[in-house]
Amino acid sequence: MKDETLAALTGLCAKCGTCRTVCTLYPERKAEIAVARGKVALLEAAMNGEDPDADSVQEALTDCLLCGRCERACPNQVLVEEIVMKGRADLAEEVGIPAWKSILFGKVMASPGATAAARKAAAAGERLLLPKVPTGSGLHYRFPEGLGGKGRTVPELPARGFLESLGRKEAASGEVMLFVGCVFDHVFPQVGRAAYETVKASGKSVAVFRDAACCGLPAMVSGDRRSAMACAEGNLRRLRSAEPATIVFPCGSCLLMFRRNLLSLVPQGVPLHEDALWVADRSTDYASFLLASGVVGRLPDPPAGEKAGEIGYHDPCHLSGTLGKGPEAREVLRRAAGDAFAEMEGADRCCGYGGTFNVRDYRTSARIGEGKVSLAARGGTKVISTACSGCVLQMRDMAARVDPSLRVVHIAELVAQALARGEGTAPRR
Amino acid sequence: MDPKALAALGELLGDRLRTSLETRICYSYDATGKRFLPDAVAHPVDAEEVRRIVLLANQHRFPVVPRGAGSGFSGGSLPVHGGVVLSTERMDRIVAIDTENLYAVVEPGVVTETLKEEARRRGLFYPPDPASLKFSTIGGNIAECSGGMCAVKYGVTRDYVLGLEAVLGTGELVRTGVATVKGVVGYDLTRMLVGSEGTLGIVTRATLRLVPLPETAATMLALFSGNREAARAVNAVVAARVTPSAMELMDRTAIDCVLAVVPIPLPEGTGSALLLEVDGPAPSVARDAERLAEVCRSCGAIEVRVASDARGREELWKMRRSISPGLRRLAPVKMNEDIVVPRSRLADMFDFLAGLSARKRVRIVNFGHAGDGNIHVNVMTSGTDADETRRAEEAVEEVFRKTVEVGGTISGEHGIGIAKAPFLEMEVGPLGVSVMKRLKECFDPNGILNPGKIFLSEAAVRP
Ligand SMILES: Cc1cc2nc3c(=O)[nH]c(=O)nc-3n(C[C@H](O)[C@H](O)[C@H](O)COP(=O)(O)OP(=O)(O)OC[C@H]3O[C@@H](n4cnc5c(N)ncnc54)[C@H](O)[C@@H]3O)c2cc1C
Ligand code: SF4
Ligand code: SF4
Repeated sequence: MKDETLAALTGLCAKCGTCRTVCTLYPERKAEIAVARGKVALLEAAMNGEDPDADSVQEALTDCLLCGRCERACPNQVLVEEIVMKGRADLAEEVGIPAWKSILFGKVMASPGATAAARKAAAAGERLLLPKVPTGSGLHYRFPEGLGGKGRTVPELPARGFLESLGRKEAASGEVMLFVGCVFDHVFPQVGRAAYETVKASGKSVAVFRDAACCGLPAMVSGDRRSAMACAEGNLRRLRSAEPATIVFPCGSCLLMFRRNLLSLVPQGVPLHEDALWVADRSTDYASFLLASGVVGRLPDPPAGEKAGEIGYHDPCHLSGTLGKGPEAREVLRRAAGDAFAEMEGADRCCGYGGTFNVRDYRTSARIGEGKVSLAARGGTKVISTACSGCVLQMRDMAARVDPSLRVVHIAELVAQALARGEGTAPRR
Repeated sequence: MDPKALAALGELLGDRLRTSLETRICYSYDATGKRFLPDAVAHPVDAEEVRRIVLLANQHRFPVVPRGAGSGFSGGSLPVHGGVVLSTERMDRIVAIDTENLYAVVEPGVVTETLKEEARRRGLFYPPDPASLKFSTIGGNIAECSGGMCAVKYGVTRDYVLGLEAVLGTGELVRTGVATVKGVVGYDLTRMLVGSEGTLGIVTRATLRLVPLPETAATMLALFSGNREAARAVNAVVAARVTPSAMELMDRTAIDCVLAVVPIPLPEGTGSALLLEVDGPAPSVARDAERLAEVCRSCGAIEVRVASDARGREELWKMRRSISPGLRRLAPVKMNEDIVVPRSRLADMFDFLAGLSARKRVRIVNFGHAGDGNIHVNVMTSGTDADETRRAEEAVEEVFRKTVEVGGTISGEHGIGIAKAPFLEMEVGPLGVSVMKRLKECFDPNGILNPGKIFLSEAAVRP
């Protein structure tokens, strides 16, 4: 294995061990191979010709939630997420990626409409794939039959996705583009709807990105560069020609793909780089858009009192951690929910989802997730709000295990409620 | 390694013995960045398993290298002669915290910060605070006798180890020491094991002294024109009969290094900085802080900043904490030494280091726990220029010679390991080395435990 860019990245690691303190996975594994330092050492050994078994190295790299905690704690600015993704992709070229992944990423995800078709098939009970489907940040994850552990609670797929519920000419063009994402379109269309209505409340013209392919993050983190590229090409081309002033993402992971990961998928020198930069510049998280566009400022005063402290906010790793967008969602919640919102215990702990990780090792993913959700519940939280599709999927599943009365929602749903409250009362002057 | 030995270990440990190349790679390094591949990695869960591993090692003659978090700076956990790396990661329970008799009983794999936090919750304090406390283990701390910023007031790990349970190189399980404040029954085997770098015994349990948690603390940053002034202040502080809980000195080289990472506004002409902390009951903290600020001013401080709230204190500490990240930005390779000199010789030592840096044309960054005369001397190199590396090595050797000459010691807290083995004799003399080797013989006659450490060119395990 040879990769000079990768070698430059791993070369920064001083083997200090700081990453051991923060790794989401380390307490589960209690072995060095789980932490960033071990993964970096393995890649270095692979590049130095020590010839560790490529499958095993790939396995070790896959055993990672890409939560980015190590990277943020690292005193030497080692870009662990980038290293893990690059390593996975390099190794994929050597040992290939699991067949189920390549089929799904290559065929289903890159073509718009394909996910909808797959969802319909699944909803209609065709046992083509896992019958009760979803658990991933693109629909594909829920399909590979027999993956993951048993006992998972998965949402019933609604008959109609959010995009399908729109009128044919509705939200076809506008200065603001809403990138709904697979999960908030097909699995939780109510979130797609809430995001759409609340973004529309800005008074700007809003288009919904209809012919979107998957954001490409699942393929990219799985080391499937080709499928990720296919997603990226289509998305960039269509976004570029639609020319929105702003692109709003209700899902933190999709946003991460467009704000950061795409730029390393299509680095400087590659033709698409300019487009990727152009799109990255315009991409924003849902909460920041609501603050900047004044929607939040126009919300009616939240009702005081009775449910104080019931609503918490879970920090999605990609959104709050990697992209540093934690305060914005809280600001939105304070306006939308008033003192019903309170910091919840362990807000910034990873939910344990990790995309492919959840499929690959459901038991560990669930242990981490249950820990997270129980901590919040014990602290008195009754509604966990968040802003990432993977986190919603995971925490709903975990809530069902820990305390079925616990609700898990997207912040857009709470903002939509607040807006509705405003409409019920006399118009404000 | 003998396949029969591996089979026997496998039978004992099941999947807690790993021999795959991938796992071995992950236990081949520590914070020195050097690498040696072990033949296998063992994750025992209790003293009995540790004992049986060492018995097998004696039977089949393979090395056993204890390893905590692998954060050591002297190569202590590196399997330089192969064999089995014995990781304490799965022996990480806090067995008991006795709030009446003020001690804790822990397994060796407990992370330092975890113990500190558990003690804190009970209003108690486990003082040792190596900068690596969030990941280093108690076993590693004991084996290296780690210290930290608060050593100036609270001492080092050694001062908190009341008793130990350890597996010797023979496979015998000994219990040393006491669970009481005093104890003089026979030789002090506890102290013998502390700082022995895993060469005499493998600690399987430790009884550690706790003290009441100080009520509050205040932090001061005093800026001086040069090291002479700062070093004078250090001695004046000691003479003023106030014991700070931290007294960190950063010379111009370290300040430059910090400024490369965070822009901290400093007055014109700042050539040296002292960071001081006092802790205790609120009224005495306020009084001591004032007294120390006064002392610094009278020693010519250009400016003294005092903070007593958490935010302000963190702001002052930021300077100290930014040194390490800054170092790497200066140059990729650092030779990181931790000499200790008598406090009264601090200023001389800093002068010597400045001269040495100029003479050898290598960048040297100095900072340290000035309160106990401990200076971290970082000789920075590119790692790609052979001549520069040679000059750096010469510089390090001169630093050690000078240190011994002024009555200091070549390692305050990082230990000898492989990094400083060539210089052991320089400090303790041939007789010192010989007595140590005789002791080693007695604890570990077959040379099973961590061979190749502390002593130069020690052969691998005896046939
Ligand atoms: C960023 C950073 C900052 C640091 N700051 C400081 C500091 O301020 N002060 C300081 O003193 N050190 C410091 N260190 C050095 C290091 O963290 C300490 O030496 C620490 O005590 C090592 O603990 P560990 O668990 O990582 O041990 P390891 O590195 O795994 O092992 C260290 C030694 O202990 C032995 N050992 C481990 N467990 C046992 C056991 N159960 N029984 C017998 N022997 C055992 C090993 O064989 C080895 O010889 C720092 C290191 C880093 C990376
Ligand atoms: S914290 Fe960073 S430099 Fe240190 S071991 Fe982990 S990845 Fe390497
Ligand atoms: S990204 Fe998260 S799970 Fe992966 S190594 Fe880093 S801290 Fe551990």
